[in-house]
Amino acid sequence: MLLLLSSLNGLCNQVLAQEAPIKFGKLEAREAAALLASPTPDSAAAEVLCDFGQSTIQGKSEGFELRFERTARLLIRRPAGYEHATVRVLLYHDPKEGRREEIQLLKGFTYNLTGATLSKEPLRTEAVFSRKVDERLDEYAFTLPNVREGSILEFTYVVRSPFLFNLQDWQFQQDIPVRWSEYRTIIPSFYRYKELSRTYWPFTINETGTKAYSTTYREPRPTGYGMTAVTQDNYYNITTMAITRRWAIKELPAFRAEPFITTRRDYLSRVDFELERIQFDPQHDPQFVVGSWAEIEKQLLEDEKFGQYLKATTSLSTNAAALRSLPALTERAQAVRQLVLQQVAYTSTPAYLVRPGNTARRIVEQRQGNAAEVNLLLIAALRAAGLEAQPLLLSTRQHGQIQTELPLVSQFNYVVAYVALPDNQELLLDATDASLPPTLLPEHCLNAQGRLLGPAGRWVNLMNTASHLLYIRAQLTASTQGELRGTIRQEYAGYAASEHRRPLPELRQQWQKEHPDWHISKAEMSAPDVAHPVMLELTATLPGAEAEATTLYLRPLQHLLMAANPFRHAERSYPVDFATVQRVECVTDLTLPAGYKVAELPTDMQLVLPDGGGRFLFSISQPTAHTLALVGRLHLLKTHYSAAEYSAIRELYAKAVAKFAEPIVLQQQ
Amino acid sequence: MRTFLSLLLAGTGCLLLPTAPAWAYGPAPKYAVADLPAPLRENAHAVIRRQEEALLVKSVGRTVETTRRAVTILDEVGARWASELVYYSSLNTISYFRGAVYDAAGRQLRQLRSQDIHDISLSDGFSLATDARGRVADLSQPTYPYTVEFEYEVVSDNPLFYSTWRPQPVEQLAVEQASFKVTMPAGMALRYQEQHLPAGTAQAKRTQGSQEVYEWQVHDLAAREEEADAPPVAELTPTVFTAPAEFEVQGHAGHLSSWADLSRWTYDLNAGRDELPPAIKAGIAALVQGETDERAKIRKVYHFLQANTRYISVQLGLGGWQTFPASSVAANGYGDCKALTNYCKALLGAAGIKAHAALVKAGSDEQDVLTSFPSSQFNHVVLCVPLAQSARPDTVWLECTSQTNPFGYMGGFTGNRHALLLLPEGGKLIPTPRYGAAENRRERLANVFLDVNGDATATLRTLRTGLEYDGVSGLPGLELAEQKKRISNRLALPNFTLNKVAFKHSGPEAAVPSLTENLALTMPALAPPSGKRVFITPNLLSRMAPPQATVGERQTDLWLDHAFTQQDTVVLHLPASLRPEQLPAPVQLTTPFGTYSSQLLTLPDGSIRYVRRLVMPRTRFARTDYPAYLEFRRKVSAADKAQLVLLKTDA
Repeated sequence: MLLLLSSLNGLCNQVLAQEAPIKFGKLEAREAAALLASPTPDSAAAEVLCDFGQSTIQGKSEGFELRFERTARLLIRRPAGYEHATVRVLLYHDPKEGRREEIQLLKGFTYNLTGATLSKEPLRTEAVFSRKVDERLDEYAFTLPNVREGSILEFTYVVRSPFLFNLQDWQFQQDIPVRWSEYRTIIPSFYRYKELSRTYWPFTINETGTKAYSTTYREPRPTGYGMTAVTQDNYYNITTMAITRRWAIKELPAFRAEPFITTRRDYLSRVDFELERIQFDPQHDPQFVVGSWAEIEKQLLEDEKFGQYLKATTSLSTNAAALRSLPALTERAQAVRQLVLQQVAYTSTPAYLVRPGNTARRIVEQRQGNAAEVNLLLIAALRAAGLEAQPLLLSTRQHGQIQTELPLVSQFNYVVAYVALPDNQELLLDATDASLPPTLLPEHCLNAQGRLLGPAGRWVNLMNTASHLLYIRAQLTASTQGELRGTIRQEYAGYAASEHRRPLPELRQQWQKEHPDWHISKAEMSAPDVAHPVMLELTATLPGAEAEATTLYLRPLQHLLMAANPFRHAERSYPVDFATVQRVECVTDLTLPAGYKVAELPTDMQLVLPDGGGRFLFSISQPTAHTLALVGRLHLLKTHYSAAEYSAIRELYAKAVAKFAEPIVLQQQ
Repeated sequence: MRTFLSLLLAGTGCLLLPTAPAWAYGPAPKYAVADLPAPLRENAHAVIRRQEEALLVKSVGRTVETTRRAVTILDEVGARWASELVYYSSLNTISYFRGAVYDAAGRQLRQLRSQDIHDISLSDGFSLATDARGRVADLSQPTYPYTVEFEYEVVSDNPLFYSTWRPQPVEQLAVEQASFKVTMPAGMALRYQEQHLPAGTAQAKRTQGSQEVYEWQVHDLAAREEEADAPPVAELTPTVFTAPAEFEVQGHAGHLSSWADLSRWTYDLNAGRDELPPAIKAGIAALVQGETDERAKIRKVYHFLQANTRYISVQLGLGGWQTFPASSVAANGYGDCKALTNYCKALLGAAGIKAHAALVKAGSDEQDVLTSFPSSQFNHVVLCVPLAQSARPDTVWLECTSQTNPFGYMGGFTGNRHALLLLPEGGKLIPTPRYGAAENRRERLANVFLDVNGDATATLRTLRTGLEYDGVSGLPGLELAEQKKRISNRLALPNFTLNKVAFKHSGPEAAVPSLTENLALTMPALAPPSGKRVFITPNLLSRMAPPQATVGERQTDLWLDHAFTQQDTVVLHLPASLRPEQLPAPVQLTTPFGTYSSQLLTLPDGSIRYVRRLVMPRTRFARTDYPAYLEFRRKVSAADKAQLVLLKTDA
C-alpha cells in the first residue's frame, strides 16, 4: 500500500513538473525579435504561436463546476490577418434556472517591437462587448489595441461553467498556421468523459496520467439563531485521484476547405467530449451514467423530446391507421409518408430531438416542424398503420462523420424512420422533402451509417442507395457550316432528379447556363411524379461558321457533356467525399450533311480506376454512311476516395475532357 | 342583445350542421385563392393580396410604422414570403407582431403564437458590437397554395428615416392591392417623391382633425420577369420615397429640406471630436516636415493612418451616426468608418491640410442615391481633400477603413456615384471619381508553348486596373496556397495545373491602381493531334457567352452598368512540324453597345499572334435596341470561339 502511494506520488510530481507551454504577459524584446525573424509558414498573414487550454473541475457552493483556462499568443504579419485580433467566446446559459457560464480574468496585451524596444499595451475593458445570440447563448467579443504589421498578441481568460456536461472541446487547427496547440484536462475520479478526437496530423503529445486531486466543496448551513444569525458555511475538503490528459500538435498548417468534403469539422484536428458518468461513492450507484447504446436508447425513449412524443396519438396517426387496409407493406409505408408530407412542412432545421415544449399534437396543429418533429410523427404514423417502424439516428453531412465505436448521442443531429419488412427487407423513410421519391433519403443524410434504435439496434449502411445520374440522348444533324441542330433529351435521375424537379423556365435557364453555346428554340419538360426521372426535351442549335466549309470539325460531346475538368486543383490534402455515386452518360446520333464523308474520327477509349473506383468510356461508330453514333460515359463508383486516389480521378476526368475535345473531321466529297 | 343573438345563431348553426368542422365557427374565410385574378398568377411565385403600410409621425422625435401584409404563396420558390423578419435596435422597438395562415380556400389554419416568434441577433459577422436585432416568424405550410398574413408595428426614436414604400420589390411577385398612408401631426410637413406610379394612383391628401393624411394605392400589378442586362427591379416598379422636413434624434434636432441641411446636421453631430493627443500632433508635424508637395503630404498622412489603424465596427444606438473621438482612435488604433475618417481628418489638420468628411451610399451593387430627393440615404463616410495649391480644381478622395486601399482610389465600393460633403455651412452633393472603359482595363499577354504531342506550357501576364483591379486587389495579401486555389477556380481552361503565381502592384504614383499577375501553367492535351491536324482556339481565356435570349417581348431597357476594356494577346509558339492550314479572318465590330476586334497574324519566327480587344461602355438603351445588342453579343461569342487548324508538315 505504501509502495503504491509513493509511486502515485512520483507520477504526480512528474505531472506537476509539466510547465505550461506559454507564460502570459512575459515576452522579452529579444524573443519577440526572434519570432518576427522566423518566417511564417506558407507566407500566411497571421499565425498562432501557441494556443494552450486547460480544463478541470472544482468545488464551489453546493456543487462543482468546470474551469477552463485559455492562453494564446499570435503573430500578425499583414493587414489580412488583423481579424485574428478580435476574439469571440460563446457562453451558454440556462434560461429557466438562470445558471450561466461566466468569463473571468480576461486579459490581453499587444506587443509592438520598434527597434530594440518592445511596447506592451493592455486590452481595455471598453473593447469587450457581449451580445445575446439566442435564448441559451451569449457571445463575448473583444479586440486588442494598436494592432499593426508585426504585432504579437496575447490573451488569456477563464470560463467557469456550472454545466458539467459542457467540458470545453478543443480545436487544434485554425484558418492560420498553428505552431503549437495544447490542451490538458484534469478530471477527478468521480467524473468521467468520453473523448472523441480526430486529426489528419499526428499528435505530438498524447498522454494520460493520474494525479492527486483535492478541492473544497462548500455547503451553506442554515442557522438557527434567529435574526442575528451569522451564516456559517460548511467546508468539505475532498481528496481523490484525477485522470490527467494532455494532447499537443505542433506545426499545423492552416486549414483550407477543399471541394467535395462533408464539413470543415470532419477535417480539422480536434478533440470533443461527452459526459459519461458521475459517481461520488464507488459503494453506491452512480449519480449519472451515459454509456452503452442500450442506455442511450432507454434515456431517449423516456425523454419527452423523443420517446414521449413518439407515443402520442394525433389526428395524423388516426388517419394513418386507416391505411392498414393497404395490403402491400411498402405501398402502405409510402402512403403514410405521403400523408405526413402533406400535413407537416419541414422547417429546414435538422434535429434528433423535438424542441422543448412541442407536443406531437401541437406540431400537427401548426403544420410545421424540425426533422425530429416531422420524422418522429412519421414513425408514430407508420406504427399506427401497423408497420414495424423504429427511429434511426444519423448525422447529416453538414454535421459531420460518425465514429461508430463511441456511443455518443451528440454525434447525431437527425432522425429518420426504419421499417422492417418480411423476408429481411427494410425501408428507410423520411418525410421532409416532397421532391424525393419515397425510397430515397435526402442527400444530406447520406453520411456513412445510421444507428437503429429498438430491439434490433445496430448500425445501418446509408450509402447503398441511388446514384446521381445525368443522361443525355441527342439526335443531331450537322449543316454544311458545321452547325449542329436537333433534339436533346436530358434526363435527371436518382439524386439528380430532386435537384432538377423545378419549373420549366428555371430548368431551362439552368441548362442554358451549363451549356452557354447552344441556342434553345423549344423546351418542354416532363416530371410525372417523384418516382420518375425529370426529363427536359430541347430543340436546340449549336451555331457553326458564317460560311460553308469543305472541312468540318465537330465535337458534340464536348458541348453536351463536359467542357472542363471539375477537379481543378492539383493538390489534395483531405479525402474526397461524395454523397452518392456519380454517373454521366450521353448517347448521340449525328447525321452528316449531304455530300460530306468522314475524314477522321477520334479513337475509342476505355479507362478504369483501380479497385473499380470509376471508369470512362468513349466510343464512336458509323452505322450508315450518313450517320455516326457516339457514346460517352463517366462513372465515379465510390463515394469516398483517399487523398492519394484524388490524382487518379482528376486524371480520368482530364482524359475524358481531352477525348471529348477531339474533333470528328468531315470532308466534302 | 347583440351577444345573445350571435350565440343563438351559433347554436342554430350547430343544430343544422352537426358534422361541420371546427373552422366553420372561426373567422370568415379570407384570401381564397379562387378569388385571385388569373393574370396575377402568371409568372408569379407569390401574390401580395393586400398590403397596408402606414407611417404615423407622432412628433419630430418619434414615428410609428405599421405593416399588414397578406401574401398568397403559390409554390416553393414563393415560400420566402412565408416568414417575416422585423428589425429592432436600441432606437426602434416592436410594439406588436402578429400573424395567421390560411388555406387555399381562405380558412384560417392557425394564428401565430408568441412562442413561435424567435428573437435573434442580427450580427453582420464582422462588427465587434451591434444592437441590431430581429424577431422572426415562419408560417410555411406543407402544401401549396396558402396565404400568410403578418401584422406588426415598430416605434422608432430615430425619425431621420421615414418609410420608402415599394410594394413590388422583386421579380415574380404580383400585387393585388397595396396602400401606403402617412399621417403627419399639425404643423409638420411631409416630403415625398413618387416614382413609376401607374396613372391615376397619385396620392390623395386629406385633413383629419389636426392631422394631414397622405395616401397612395396600387392594385393589380402583374409579376415581372427577370431580364438580362436590365436595370434593377426597384428602379422599375412603383415607389414612394418619404422624408422628414424636421426631426430629432437623441436630442439632436435638425431640418431637412435640402442636402445642405442634412450636411450641416451631420457635421454638427460630429463636430469637436477631432482633438488629437499632443504626441500624435507632433509626430504628424515631424512626418510632413520639409515636404512641400501637397499631394505627397496627404499621401504620407494616409499611409500613417493605414499603418497604425484598422477597421472595427461598433454599431450601437446613436453611434451609427456619431463618431468616436479622435483621441479614442489614437489610443486604440481602431475605429469604424466615422471614427477613422474623423481621425484622418484630424491628422491632416495637424499637417495643415483641410479635409471634409463625405457621406456615400457604398457597395459594389448599390445604386447611386436619389439625388433629387434630399434624405438620409447613406451608409458610409469617406474623406474628401480639396487640393488648395493645385492650379486647376482637384480633389483627393480617401477611404479610411482599409489598410491596403491604394492612395486616392475609391473603386467599385464608393466610386461612380454622389457623396454629400459635410460642412458647417451645409455642403452639397459632389461626384466621386468616375471609372470608365479607359480606367477599367484588363490586359493579358499569354505565351503558349505547344509541343508535338499537343501538351502545352504557358505564361500569363495579366494587368488589371480600375474596377477590374477591385476583384483581385486582395489576392497578393493571401498566402500562396490560397492564391493558387482562387486563381484556379477562376481560370476558364479545360485542363490545367497552376505552377507559379506572382503579383506586382502599381507604384504609389499611379492615378488609378493596377495589379499585374504572372502565372505559369501546364495544360496537358491542350491541342492533341487528330490525324494530320491539330486544333486550337487561340482565345484561350476570354470567351464571352451571349446573354440569354428573352422569351417573348423585351420589357425593360437595356442597362449596361459596367464599362470595361479587355485586351488579349496570345502568342502561340509552335513546334517546327506544325504550320497553320489557314488563319481565321479578322473580325471587326463597331456598335453603340461596344466595339470588338480580333485578328491572327503569323510572326516571322513562325509563331502565331492572336489579338482580341473588346470595349464596352456604361450606357442605357431603349428596350427596342435589345435584339441588336443580342446580335452583337452573339457575333462576339462566335468570333471568340474561332478555331485555328494546324497541319502536321511531317505527316
